[in-house]
Amino acid sequence: MNTVIYLRLGVGNLWLHPTRTGLTLLALVIGIGALGFLSAMMNGMMTNMKSNFVLNEMGHLQIHAKGFEQQRKIELHLNNTETIDAMLAQTPAVRAWSHRLRVSGMASAAGSSATALISGIEAEQESRVSRLREFLVQGAWLRPTQLRDAVLGKVLAERLRLDIGDKLVLMAVAPDGDVMSEVFRLRGTIASGAMEMDNTTVLINLKAAQAWMNLGAGVTDVVIRCRSFADVNPLAQQLRQQLDGHDVEVLRWMDIDPMAEQWTRFNDAYSWVIMAVVMIVILAEVLNTMLMSMHDRLHELGLMAALGTSQGAMFAMVIWETLVLVTLGGVLGFALGYAFTAWYAVHGIDLSRYAEAFSFMYIEPVVYPAMEWQQTLHMMGAALSGACLAGMYPAWQASRLDPVQAMRE
Amino acid sequence: MDQALIQGCGLKKYYQSGNTRTAALNGVNFSLQRGAFTVLAGRSGSGKTTLLNMIGLLDRPDEGSLRIAGEDVLAISRRQRANFRLRRIGFIFQAYNLIRVLSARENVAYVQQLRGMKKKQRLELADYWLAQVDLAGLGDRRPDQLSGGQQQRVAVARALASQPEIILADEPTANLDSHNGESLMALMRRLNERENTTFLIASHDPVAMDAARELVSMQDGVMIDRVLRE
Ligand SMILES: Nc1ncnc2c1ncn2[C@@H]1O[C@H](COP(=O)(O)OP(=O)(O)O)[C@@H](O)[C@H]1O
Ligand SMILES: [Mg+2]
Repeated sequence: MNTVIYLRLGVGNLWLHPTRTGLTLLALVIGIGALGFLSAMMNGMMTNMKSNFVLNEMGHLQIHAKGFEQQRKIELHLNNTETIDAMLAQTPAVRAWSHRLRVSGMASAAGSSATALISGIEAEQESRVSRLREFLVQGAWLRPTQLRDAVLGKVLAERLRLDIGDKLVLMAVAPDGDVMSEVFRLRGTIASGAMEMDNTTVLINLKAAQAWMNLGAGVTDVVIRCRSFADVNPLAQQLRQQLDGHDVEVLRWMDIDPMAEQWTRFNDAYSWVIMAVVMIVILAEVLNTMLMSMHDRLHELGLMAALGTSQGAMFAMVIWETLVLVTLGGVLGFALGYAFTAWYAVHGIDLSRYAEAFSFMYIEPVVYPAMEWQQTLHMMGAALSGACLAGMYPAWQASRLDPVQAMRE
Repeated sequence: MDQALIQGCGLKKYYQSGNTRTAALNGVNFSLQRGAFTVLAGRSGSGKTTLLNMIGLLDRPDEGSLRIAGEDVLAISRRQRANFRLRRIGFIFQAYNLIRVLSARENVAYVQQLRGMKKKQRLELADYWLAQVDLAGLGDRRPDQLSGGQQQRVAVARALASQPEIILADEPTANLDSHNGESLMALMRRLNERENTTFLIASHDPVAMDAARELVSMQDGVMIDRVLRE
């Protein structure tokens, strides 16, 4: 009811001490601005990591024969994928899908050999699902009709001392138990930055793999790319229902490798801790400012109480003043954080000095920060409820003020 | 005969400082009629402020009884006391009478605002009372842009604007020179006669005592003398 006057008194009293208020505001703006920017940067990194994690190779969802993920045995394959393909073609949340035949084996050339994770892929369709093709650093990509083409991880190719065009022999155990070997030619090499991938990957055409392993139209994976991360859970649920009884497993990216998910969770928790620490520092500053301001105005507060200002109104007045201060600091702080975010969202933050460490975690060396509305609102909410909390003690003191004592010289 | 506006009986108030207990009020019997213009005189430390604070419901006696307009004001809660002050008592203090960040007009209107009066109405009322205390046109000034005498007049305007049953003034002239003190007293006296507002003024300033229609003298926490001077 009397909010207007308390707002007015709050602003006026803050303005009475421009330096003190200014310094507190500065602390708020820098603190909240840095917090906003850092969390935007974290968001950028996490989004980057998540999508790299998924798009490099894995896809949002994979469908396997039941048990394949656990046992990785080629015996556990899908004989044909017609039903699944028909189903996916009718699902709007699916952006693209492709088929793979995965088998582990050996790659050898000129006397040296190494273990290899061999994937038969659909050379063209694969590009719609993963970024494997973008990792090409040398030579060229698989040609769909050339069944002897092979693309290797860069480190693996180096270990085998292979140049483009050189022959290599792949060896693996077929489902019927026979050891099969076949000759391929190095067509190109890929480097993703992810160690495991660059050390062991061998890509060949799906048709070549199927013929080599005597599998006909059999595949081990249907790899699905969704329209967005938000589609993952509902789509997984839908497919699990539709494919019930088909002896298949529908796995989400986080089921396949929980690392990225755990990282995101860890990061969330970590952000909360940082936020809490910054908030506590800020609010201690606000509390201090408010107590000083109250001390200066003891006579005036006594006068107001004497004139008949109710205890509730005295309390509200101090809370409002705190809120004005923190809102102002918060809005300016977020504006600052947003300005930095907007600039770096375009120009990127180059962390290539730390790229080694980051590539392991699927984070690119240039980070593009992104502010999330919801997170910003959360932080603003935290700042304002913190302000109420910090205002609580001075407000409580103001409401209990004895006017006679307060006005005595 | 009319019932007295204020009726205090056997009022006692003790203060403990260290091991010694001083009686700020040592059994005061006091009554005040409506429309009075009474100055409470006495040396510094004689208990004037303590008595005024009691009557203003800012403080409570340790013993005794107090009725204002027939109501037993010692029996009511802290919240009710604040409300009583807001609606029925006007205050003028020695100093720090005004809220620094509000204009003179807003200071006068503050009590009306707490009472919930509409903005336009209360500001008009404030301007009217500022004119009554010879401050027409200065409503937009902040307290620090007014002289000491002007600030006290704003306080008088604020006290009168709420049309209280009694105005309590504690050493209102203490920070003024004798000329400004005289004109402030004259102003209050004039308003007392015209509006029939009751004034109780605590002061040991001869200028204030000169303006009194009734003079009550205190010493060591008791009332020693009471004279009508009209
Ligand atoms: N809060 C207090 N604590 C201790 N002593 C007090 C307090 N208030 C008043 N006194 C004492 O009570 C006596 C009366 O004070 P007061 O009413 O202020 O006198 P006056 O207003 O006439 O100068 C003085 O001796 C004063 O020191
Ligand atoms: Mg006094």
